[in-house]
Amino acid sequence: MIDDLEKLRERLKAMPVPEPRPGFVDRALATASGTGSTHMRGIRATLARPAIWWAAGAGAVMASIAWLVVMGMHGSAPREAAVSLALNESREISLVIDSERVLEGATIRLYVSGGVALEGYEDQHEIEWMASLNQGANLLSLPVVARAPGDGEVVAEIEHDGRTRRVSVAMHVSARPTSTTPVRG
Amino acid sequence: MTWPAGAAGLGPGAPGLGYVCKEMETTPAAEFDLLLRGHVRPLYRYAYRWTGDPDHAEDLVQETLTRLFTELDQLRQIERIRPWATRVMYRLFIDGLRRMRRSPVTYVGRSGSTGAMLEEEHEEIEAPDETWDPAALTEQALQQERIEAAWPRLHELHRVVLSLHEIEGYSLEEVATIVDVPLGTAKSRLNRARQRLRTLLTEGTNSDSGACKSHD
Repeated sequence: MIDDLEKLRERLKAMPVPEPRPGFVDRALATASGTGSTHMRGIRATLARPAIWWAAGAGAVMASIAWLVVMGMHGSAPREAAVSLALNESREISLVIDSERVLEGATIRLYVSGGVALEGYEDQHEIEWMASLNQGANLLSLPVVARAPGDGEVVAEIEHDGRTRRVSVAMHVSARPTSTTPVRG
Repeated sequence: MTWPAGAAGLGPGAPGLGYVCKEMETTPAAEFDLLLRGHVRPLYRYAYRWTGDPDHAEDLVQETLTRLFTELDQLRQIERIRPWATRVMYRLFIDGLRRMRRSPVTYVGRSGSTGAMLEEEHEEIEAPDETWDPAALTEQALQQERIEAAWPRLHELHRVVLSLHEIEGYSLEEVATIVDVPLGTAKSRLNRARQRLRTLLTEGTNSDSGACKSHD
């Protein structure tokens, strides 16, 4: 136990801080003043299924890490901090991977747990593939289906050169199955 | 914004960095670069200590710089840019936390496994100790481990005040201005943060000794 305040300060100051990515200072200043590549410059690629990305990116070389943004989630459940689905309901979750430059051979992983599954991959809790990303925004649509009541989670991860961006979406599946009868207005 | 008298000369003030050569014809981008370049790495360091993740730290600094560029006119008038920029970054950090807590989406950080340390800090760790005492060094290393394990368990607001005051050397008045609270509140927040850290360190010590006992 460190009783002395000075010793505590010393230890706090000695806590390591990892370096930012190479070129971060130049890039950040240029982006802020609009002279560099702009963030979210528009959707360059719309890819509905991981398999397409796998085919596009297999065997390529890694470059730079990207941003990961989940679209349209804030409006869907602003208070409960989870996306609510009825049993058997399907929902598309759109992920935008915004890359500062062309990025070949990034590894993308999806982890699905709890009462939700990815349509077409319902027996798999973990999917991993390599992908080539365009410069700018790359859209990945994940068709999620509610298979059992309770809480669940979809985690998407992109990795390059030992650096990882990870985003998790909390899901909640209610026991009430989704209605198959159209609702009349 | 005014900063407390007597604050000049502290590390965060970085004298001379706010100087802009008036005679030179510069674009806003070049001027912004000149004003802010020396502050980006320190801001990243603060952001890393607040967020605990290098990617989040970079995002936060980027957001801060983008915001600051829109306030270039104000930046030109400011004597000490770093505390001012830190205040902007703190607001963005808090806004981000609030957004995150209302959202089902969580950004989970994971630092690079081979990330190099900032040189100045690396030197501090590696500085040779003239009084070679293996037991003391082991104890120091243990304390360091405990601190690093306790840090992410602190509340974000506690990490902010501890990093600014204890690590970066901002005065309490400056901390109060940055986090936009009365001085008394900053003081009590700092005390609570220290207390909490000590509690976590004690828990760490107890669990260490508990582990030893269970071996016996």
